[in-house]
Amino acid sequence: MMSVETTALVLVLVKIALMLGGIMTAAAYFVLLERRVAAWVQDRHGPNRVGIPLTKIRLMGLGQPLADGLKMIFKEEYIPAQVDRPLYIIAPIVIMTAALAAFAAIPLGSVVPEITQLGIKEPIPLLVATQLDVGMLYVFALSSIAVYGVILGGWSSNSKYSFLGGLRSSAQMIAYELPLGLGILGVVLACHSLRLDAIIQHQADSGVWFVLAQPLGFVVFLVAAFAEAGRLPFDLTECEQELVGGYHTEYGGMKLVLFLTAEFIHMITASFLIVILYLGGWHLWGVTGSGVDVGWVGALLRMAVLMAKTFGLIFFFMLIRWSWPRFRFDQLMSLAWKVMLPLGLLNLVAVAICTELAHPSVAGNWLDSRLGGGGTALFFCVAGWGVAFLGLCAVALTQPMIGDNRPRRNLDLQHVDQQLDFEGRPSAG
Amino acid sequence: MVDQALPVLLFLLAAGALSVGMVVVGTLFGPRRATAVKRMPYESGMDPIHDSRRRFDVRFHLVAIAFLIFDVELLFLYPWAVASHHPQGIDAAIAAGAGSGRGVVFCGVLFFLGLVVLGLVYEWKRGVLKWR
Repeated sequence: MMSVETTALVLVLVKIALMLGGIMTAAAYFVLLERRVAAWVQDRHGPNRVGIPLTKIRLMGLGQPLADGLKMIFKEEYIPAQVDRPLYIIAPIVIMTAALAAFAAIPLGSVVPEITQLGIKEPIPLLVATQLDVGMLYVFALSSIAVYGVILGGWSSNSKYSFLGGLRSSAQMIAYELPLGLGILGVVLACHSLRLDAIIQHQADSGVWFVLAQPLGFVVFLVAAFAEAGRLPFDLTECEQELVGGYHTEYGGMKLVLFLTAEFIHMITASFLIVILYLGGWHLWGVTGSGVDVGWVGALLRMAVLMAKTFGLIFFFMLIRWSWPRFRFDQLMSLAWKVMLPLGLLNLVAVAICTELAHPSVAGNWLDSRLGGGGTALFFCVAGWGVAFLGLCAVALTQPMIGDNRPRRNLDLQHVDQQLDFEGRPSAG
Repeated sequence: MVDQALPVLLFLLAAGALSVGMVVVGTLFGPRRATAVKRMPYESGMDPIHDSRRRFDVRFHLVAIAFLIFDVELLFLYPWAVASHHPQGIDAAIAAGAGSGRGVVFCGVLFFLGLVVLGLVYEWKRGVLKWR
């Protein structure tokens, strides 16, 4: 029989292996899903041919990710002459490692029961870094490291498209990191923990998901998460039509795969974070319960709920991609600094005041005695929605369309025609 | 501390090894048929015009500086956000005789946030956030 420490270590290693394998497989198959969704939105077939090799079985294109992976391994390995070689090679490794490592603190469910046959005597949390108290901060920090990958890739390529793409995407990512942090702060303040599993537990215990209590924080966080993941409408990181490929223009083969996979993993991380912070994680009213000890069925059910929510959000990401045009860069920066940052601050202040009022020594007891426990929660939810409504109204009123470039409605066309002759030149006199 | 950090370190190592491994696999199996044209920087098929190490818009610097300031300010708020309602947080500290009350802490944080907002307003008025 193994000692307790060895068992714990083996458990951690098994979790890491499962997690990494799971993410890589998920990323590969989400690429396929994205292509199928794109095809569905655009009313075409998409990749539906590749199935089992050497047979005619197609399996709806499920062999495509494997074939793509193999193809990428055998792609030509080339490094352009002008690049800064060490940085050029390190950049994809940095971005990929950071993207993967964020999952050390992300729970994939609650806990599964102990397996005494294997010598595991305590329930197993579905989380790699079970003891890490700063999980949210850790994920946040790793998401910032992605900026290094982008900057290094863009700079070391020594090509104009890469350079401009790198500058743009790094400016975008750091600008939206502030609203992202503000969105996180509101949730952290309300459940006084940086542990993601504790945040889910808090929502499960109270039954109030944070999207209901802090709708403004949810909007800010959702938008910032889209921008951090570099997805449309914020995909200025690699707007194909303007910058060819953005910061990874000069990359090819496996290094390009690392960049693209890392971007996909960012999207998966963002979906997990949105679900965990604002959409209740594994909690679903009347289905999962909120107790700690749930047995195998409950544990699997919770895992299924969390996965279903995350999957739904990833699907949402994909639909958004094919429904929205891209922002212009000045609009993007204005949105980050002039809309999202003030709204995030407003949300934080509102949450701070609400939680302070709810404290027993301030007004919590008085409110509870007047409204009852549920009434107080409802009161603060209504307050949250009120703040969200007021905030969005204030933005709409104080900041009319930034850089409106729609056709001018007030232009008198006849007047314009009189000024021009029929070939579009200004008429003489 | 070891309990906290060890799984994270192992995960980082594994993730790093996976990334390095993928690059190495690509290097091992990929053919190499470099030509002079292939090794040029990509500029939509034209010959590159000049070096890409050139001056760029100073506004990117401004954004970076503004980000640094605000990000550090936000980082200061995390300890307060966690401790504010934690059973072993501010209440316990006040009960143990540190500080004078919740109201003071709360007003302090609001004052700090006010300074952040003031900084943002100043930045806005100075036109740092304006992109033309």
